[in-house]
Amino acid sequence: MKNVIAFTVTTAFAVSALAQDKPAAQPAPSWQQGKPAAQAESTLHPFAPHMTGRAAKELPVNKLKVPAGFKVEVWADGIPEARSLALGDKGTVFVSNRNAKNVYAVVNANGKREVKTILKGLDAPNGIVFSKGTLYVAERGRITRYDGIESKLEQPGEGKVVVDNLDPNRQAGHFWKFLAMGPDGKLYFNIGAPGNIVMPSYMEASIMRVDPDKGVLETVAMGVRNSVGMDWNPKTKELWFTNHGRDWLGNDLPNDTLHRVAAKSAVPNFGYPFCHQGDVQDPDFGKNRSCAEFAKPALKLGAHIAPLGMRFYTGKMFPAEYQNNIFIAMHGSWNRETKQGYNVMRVKLDEKGNPKMQPFVEGFLTDEKADPPMWGRPVDLLVMKDGSMLFSDDYNGIIYRVSYGK
Amino acid sequence: MSFTKLVKANATALTVAFVLLGTASPARAADAEAGKQKAAVCAACHGEGGNSTNPAVPSIAQQPAQFVSTALFMFREGNRKDPQMSPMAANLSNEDMNDLAAFFSAQKAAPPGHKSNPENAKTGPELAQKFNCTQCHGRGLLGQQHIPRLAGQQFEYLRTQLRGFKAMTRADIDGNMTSAARALSEKDIEVLSDFIAGASAQ
Repeated sequence: MKNVIAFTVTTAFAVSALAQDKPAAQPAPSWQQGKPAAQAESTLHPFAPHMTGRAAKELPVNKLKVPAGFKVEVWADGIPEARSLALGDKGTVFVSNRNAKNVYAVVNANGKREVKTILKGLDAPNGIVFSKGTLYVAERGRITRYDGIESKLEQPGEGKVVVDNLDPNRQAGHFWKFLAMGPDGKLYFNIGAPGNIVMPSYMEASIMRVDPDKGVLETVAMGVRNSVGMDWNPKTKELWFTNHGRDWLGNDLPNDTLHRVAAKSAVPNFGYPFCHQGDVQDPDFGKNRSCAEFAKPALKLGAHIAPLGMRFYTGKMFPAEYQNNIFIAMHGSWNRETKQGYNVMRVKLDEKGNPKMQPFVEGFLTDEKADPPMWGRPVDLLVMKDGSMLFSDDYNGIIYRVSYGK
Repeated sequence: MSFTKLVKANATALTVAFVLLGTASPARAADAEAGKQKAAVCAACHGEGGNSTNPAVPSIAQQPAQFVSTALFMFREGNRKDPQMSPMAANLSNEDMNDLAAFFSAQKAAPPGHKSNPENAKTGPELAQKFNCTQCHGRGLLGQQHIPRLAGQQFEYLRTQLRGFKAMTRADIDGNMTSAARALSEKDIEVLSDFIAGASAQ
């Protein structure tokens, strides 16, 4: 008996010693998950934001380009890791972040723009939306509400929980959430895939919605790796959203995508982790599956380009042809040799609803081969009451304003 | 003027709006000279110009600016804790952190005082590659962006950090180090720290 134990111990020891000799057996950082052996030497890596922010005056903001007749300028800086944007009824611009724990409010005090930290100590509060006097905040694992927020910015108090336990496994992957208010009065948000390319749990890799008064969850879409931007077509009231494709499948595959959820359709499944961009089977999870069973994206946006915020333009300032166009903030690629994105794109739908894309704000990308290749990264968009458009840049903690006119 | 009124005014008189935009209090650019003044207190532990001579205290000279500001940010926000550094960072503003980062990133790192064991100096580079150190810290372990220079860093400090990452008592901003350190044995930590502490900081 003793011999058996001794043998087992020796074998286990030998196996673990052997495992240590193989680098592949080590746990990789979550962003390296799914990196194939063939790309083991790749030095591609994600870019971290300047967590203390950078002043606009030390950056080449005059290099930003917009179409003729438009103007782009710095609206506010000093808002570290500025991510999602929301507009209050009284004109407060709320700003979220992902790696920090705060929510900021930008208010106008005697003609001066002032940045206040209104919420602290939150857990990855990336998602914010304002509706009927209430600010809703989506943290990593819950959604809370702050009623009457604009009249008590100094002391908003504790948030009331709308829904909890959204991240029971404390997943390592896409734990931050985007939050939007649907025309049906329900809060829509993503639950991202728990890694680059892994089998999601039942609630993950989805878009969900919750009635803020009842707290009951419903599934809106499945097979969505990670969506960090959504809005509703003002004409058809259909939900559109952006989605990030998997990494480490080469420079040009798969595309990140723009999706439409047809009104009154059954819950669509967009394919993750089996099928990407509607027509590329995953080399591992896609075996023995077919892309034919999954819903297709409305538009392929470019590989690894990282589409974040998207909004339909319904303001009155831009020319008529911009009415109901979709604007998408491209955070920019890290998982390809030649970088792309780092801009705001404009998507126009033709009469049949087919999308066509063209650049709107460019100039953040300085050298597509450099590391880092850019000096700023667009995250979210917000159409203001005057029809101008704000967009955030989490790399520097800056918000820009695009306007049209003399 | 209320914000709503201001917005309406913007729509009709853009020129006026732009003047008003200019009156917002903008963030100040990072200032190495201001950072030098603010850094006076740091020298007591981190050494003159951020070149530490204390094996337990890290050298912060010639660290990437984004790393210095990110480290200070993490101490202030409580993501990283240290009995000395947490209170030092508690009252720093983002501008202070950017100024300090501008100053220390511009200081030249002194040649390492540590002499690596010849055996470790030989196997160290292989280990650094095997455990993905070079993946983020770069081939020469000189750091980049928010990732610190390791080469020539203090031995005891390196060893303590690696042990801390492995024990999950030390955090980084994206969890990469926690993940990378999980695979290290105590022997690996010893060899890596010894090799890296003696490596050229240039």
